[in-house]
Parts: sequence; C-alpha cells; structure tokens
Amino acid sequence: MNNMHNVWAKRFEHYIGEVMKYMRFVFTGHIAIVLVFIAGAGGYQYSEWLKVVPTDFPAEWIIAIMIGALLAFSRPVTLIKEPDQVYLLPLESQMPGYFKKAMNWTFWSQVLVPVVLCIIAIPLLKAVTELSAAEIWMNVLFIAILKWFNVRGEFYYRYVNRGQSIGLDRVVRIVISILAIQMMLTNGLIGIVFLIMLGFYNFTLQKRMQNNPVPYEHFIRLEQNRMMSFYRFANYFTDVPHLKGSVKRRAWLDIAYKAISFKKENTQAFLIYRTFIRTDDHFYLWVRLTAISAIIAMFITLPFVTWIVVGALAFATTLQLKYALMSAGDFRMDMLYPIPKDTRKQAVAKLLRQLSIVQAIIVTLCAVMQPQFYIIPVVIIGVSELTIRMSK
Amino acid sequence: MTILQLQNVTGGYTKKPVIKDLSFEIKKGELVGLIGLNGAGKSTTIKHIIGTLLPRSGEIRLNGVTLKENLDKYRSSFSYIPETPVLYEELTLKEHLQLTAMAYGIDEKTLNERSESLLKEFRMEKRLNWFPSHFSKGMRQKVMIMCAFLVNPSLYIIDEPFVGLDPLGIQSLLDQMDEKKRTGASILMSTHILSTAEKHCDRIILLHEGRVRAQGTMDDLRKAFGMQSATLDDLYIAMTKEQDNEQHA
Repeated sequence: MNNMHNVWAKRFEHYIGEVMKYMRFVFTGHIAIVLVFIAGAGGYQYSEWLKVVPTDFPAEWIIAIMIGALLAFSRPVTLIKEPDQVYLLPLESQMPGYFKKAMNWTFWSQVLVPVVLCIIAIPLLKAVTELSAAEIWMNVLFIAILKWFNVRGEFYYRYVNRGQSIGLDRVVRIVISILAIQMMLTNGLIGIVFLIMLGFYNFTLQKRMQNNPVPYEHFIRLEQNRMMSFYRFANYFTDVPHLKGSVKRRAWLDIAYKAISFKKENTQAFLIYRTFIRTDDHFYLWVRLTAISAIIAMFITLPFVTWIVVGALAFATTLQLKYALMSAGDFRMDMLYPIPKDTRKQAVAKLLRQLSIVQAIIVTLCAVMQPQFYIIPVVIIGVSELTIRMSK
Repeated sequence: MTILQLQNVTGGYTKKPVIKDLSFEIKKGELVGLIGLNGAGKSTTIKHIIGTLLPRSGEIRLNGVTLKENLDKYRSSFSYIPETPVLYEELTLKEHLQLTAMAYGIDEKTLNERSESLLKEFRMEKRLNWFPSHFSKGMRQKVMIMCAFLVNPSLYIIDEPFVGLDPLGIQSLLDQMDEKKRTGASILMSTHILSTAEKHCDRIILLHEGRVRAQGTMDDLRKAFGMQSATLDDLYIAMTKEQDNEQHA
C-alpha cells in the first residue's frame, strides 16, 4: 500500500471492471438500437442540411459555444473512497503522484466527446469557412490541449476551494474556452493567447494548492455522486442492486390517485401509482422515452420509419417499467398483506396501459403535421398491450 | 384457546437447518417472549411464522389454519413489526396508514378513529404528510408500530421492538401491548432487553442453537435451570456458559 501508483492501478482496474460490467447491458439493450436509429436519422438530416447551408451561417460561434461549454465541465475522476480520509492521511505527501494519475485518466476519459463533436463539425466548417484541412485538424488538436488545461483547472480549483462556488470557476473557463476556439477558427493562432490565459489561471490556483491538505470530503462526495449517476444510468438497462432511487412528491400529479377508491382490491394500485409517480427513476424513464418518441414523431417524415421507432420506444417503455415495478428484490410489507398474489401484477398492467395511452396522446399530438399520424396511437397502444401480455 | 401453534418445525435459508424440531404454542391473550443469543434462530423462527420462509418439515397453524390451507385467513390473523423498519420511501406517514387499512379491509371511518389515537399516543400527529427520508430511526419504528396496531389482529409478532425507541416510545409501546392483551390479542416478542421481558411477558421461550432450551413462566425456567430466585439475566448468562462449555468440551 505504500506505493500510490499501485493504489491507483488497483482502483482503476476495479473501476473499469465495474463500468464494463454495466456498459455491457447498455450496449446490448434496446435503447442502443434506438440510439443508432437516431444517429442515422440525425446524420442523414445533417448531410442534407449541409447541401443548402447559407455561407453566412455563424458556424464558428456555434461550434465554439458548444464545445467550449462542454470543455469546461471537467469533473475530476479521482476514485477517492470514503475510508481514504482515515487511511491515506499519513500518505499526504505522496498524494500528488496519485492525483496526477487521476488527472490523466480524467483527461483521456473526457476528451473523446469534444473531439468527436469537432470532427462531426468538419464538413460544416468546410462548407461555410475557407479553413484548410491542416488548419481544421490543428483545431482538433487545439481543442484537446484546451481540454487538458480545463481538466487541470477544475481539479486545482476544487482542491483549493473544496468545491465552493465551482460555478464561478466554470464560467471563467467557459468564457475563455469559447473565445479561444472562436479565435482559433477565425483568426488562427491568436487563439493561443487565451490558452496562455488559462495556463496562468491554472498556475495561480496551483500555487495556492501548495500548503492545502487534500479536501477528502469534497472528493468523496464528488465520487459518490458520479458513481450514483452512473448507476442510475445503468439502471435503465439492467437491475443495479445497490441503487436507491430518490423520491419526490410531485403534488401536481396527486390528481392521478383520485380514481383509486379506498377499498381492499385497490391496495396494490394505491401503492404502484405512487411508486411510479414519486420515484425519480421510474418517472423520468417514462418522461425521457416519451420525449424521444415525440421528438422523432415530430421530425421524421417517413411514416413507416416513425411507426418502427415509436413502436420500439413503446416496447422499451412498457418492458422496462414492468421490470422495474415488478422486481421482487428486498422484503416489502405488502408481501405479507392478506390480498391475492397477482393483484400487484394486475395493478402494474393497469398503470402501464394508462401510461401507454398518455404516451400515445402526447406523441400523436406532436406528429399531427406528419402524414398518416393517426396510425401512431394504434402502434403505441398495440405494442404496449402486447408487451404487457407477452412478457413474463 | 390456542392462537399460534408450531409443531416440530425444522427450517432455514439453506440446506442446513437453523431451527430444529421447534414446538411451542401461544394462547389467546398471552404475551410470550422469544429469547436467545445472536444466531439462536429467533429471527428465522419469526420468518417462518410470517411465512417468508416455509418450514422444511413440521407445521405452523395460526387461528387453526396453515398458510397453504387459507392464505387470506392466515395473513389477516397477524401483524408484524420487523427489527429494522421497512417503509415505502415514496409514501407519507398518512399513506402508510391508509395502505395498511386498505390491505386489511379496514373501512375509512375505523381507520380515522384508530389512527387518531395511535398518532397521539406516539406523538406523530404533526408528521402525517412527511416522507420516511425525514424520519429518524425511532420515528420509522413508530410508523411500523402504528401500522401493526391499526390492523387489530389476533396475533402481534414483534422483533426487537425497543431498539431505537426513546423512553416515551417504549412506554407507549408497552401500554399498547397491555391494552391489546386485555382485549384478547396475543403477542410474540423477540428481544434482548431481558429486564423488560421478565417484567411484561407471561411466558418465555429460551431458544438455543435452533431448539427450545426451556419454556414457561419465570418460575418454570428457574426450576429448569435449578436456580431459585434467579433473574432472567442470570438464566440467560447460565445458558451462555452452557454453550461455552459445550464448545470447549
């Protein structure tokens, strides 16, 4: 344990294992298919649009703002754990070596998205600017370097200020990053001036770091939040055992409980409707899938494609919610209630049916401008009903 | 009249049985204490009675029926307070009471009457619309207790009820138990707080390595251990030493 490099290596191995374990489910799930569909449709629309894009389109600014804002979100991945604040205290002097590794990983794990975005933007840049291929690829490299500075900056800032008003730090880095990219795209190497500014910003923070102890509490909280959001994400695709969903009242939906009268047969419905509406995981799963379905229905002009996508999404919604609500994990008091065993299943089916109707209404309303939109509700409700009946 | 009857019950989680050949019964209006060391099989026994575990052999009858014979009657006959509170994070206190009432077929009028007095007794009236995440461990326990007493069944099964409750809460629980006993309900309570058990229980069952080591009134137990004027603490410690001797033999 005395070698911090080994500590990092061990943790990293474990962390990657954990991520892979769940990512497998993400990539094999039905959402992956939908995402491919969306990417395909988006790519097609983008290439069509490039043919007609006006030459005065402000591509530089839009790219700079999108990527610049993205760069500033460089939450450090430290893999610090709760017991560290006790066990690693005597090793404080060796921690810089550990954090160097952490920052390297943070950079490599986060640099891909802005770089890919930048590469996607290449055809657009070629269409509306006079940048040469070399200049454009220089810009990709520049963005990677800018990311490196942002990762360092955010880490130093969090270290020095223990995460206090991180928003302020981000605003500073967002502005600098946006201007740097914009300058790079329009005025060439002048963008480097902003890179130097960011370097100076980092340097002042780093100097203040010297005699500050490691802010364990902040990094632990940060890590826990990060892992929690990962598990929450993975939970949409598979069952994550140690996940506890957060709960909100959502009083404006109290009206949904009105139809459930006070009698023994409605016991499970009383519970299930509240579980669905108030558990963030379940509720936002439905909201998200319905929103995706609605947006696709609004923009795709080929009825056949729309039906396939909204059908797939209706299937995903119903199946995932059914699994989520029927999962018999821990002991619950309703397992002891003197009510017939299948009332829970019936209550879930009733809820899922009503949800599919609401989803059908929303998606259809969004698609009224498209041809043959009236088939959509038939597809959604039909697919949901089949899913309720056929799945175990 | 016998409310609960266990006959030669053997069972556990895995192939290796935790409780072995267990037999005892609880009569109407009796408060029976289930006492034993950690790992003696108290919780396993309770899980078999509430039906989350099924006995490998033997039979458990509650109000004359087994779980398989008449699930509805069996389950309506008891309410259960687990050792660690099990609440629905998405339901308010009020909704916990409503849900319980619905499940046990209690009408709204009765629900309101019973919950009013329970809420007052456990000083939770002001927290009706709170969610469990805002409750302390003791308050969570109180929600479980109120739900159990709301049902008014013939048998209460209470696992380690006093842990986490404040002194007033403990007193309220004991008061409620006494009152239910007077109206003819039976109570099976597992606990480590021996002085309370000695003072309040009509009979005591001492569990030891999954078997009934001794059962009866305090006097019966003193005779069984050959220790006159011993307290339950003394008997408990005597049982511990017995176990040690066996282990070292």
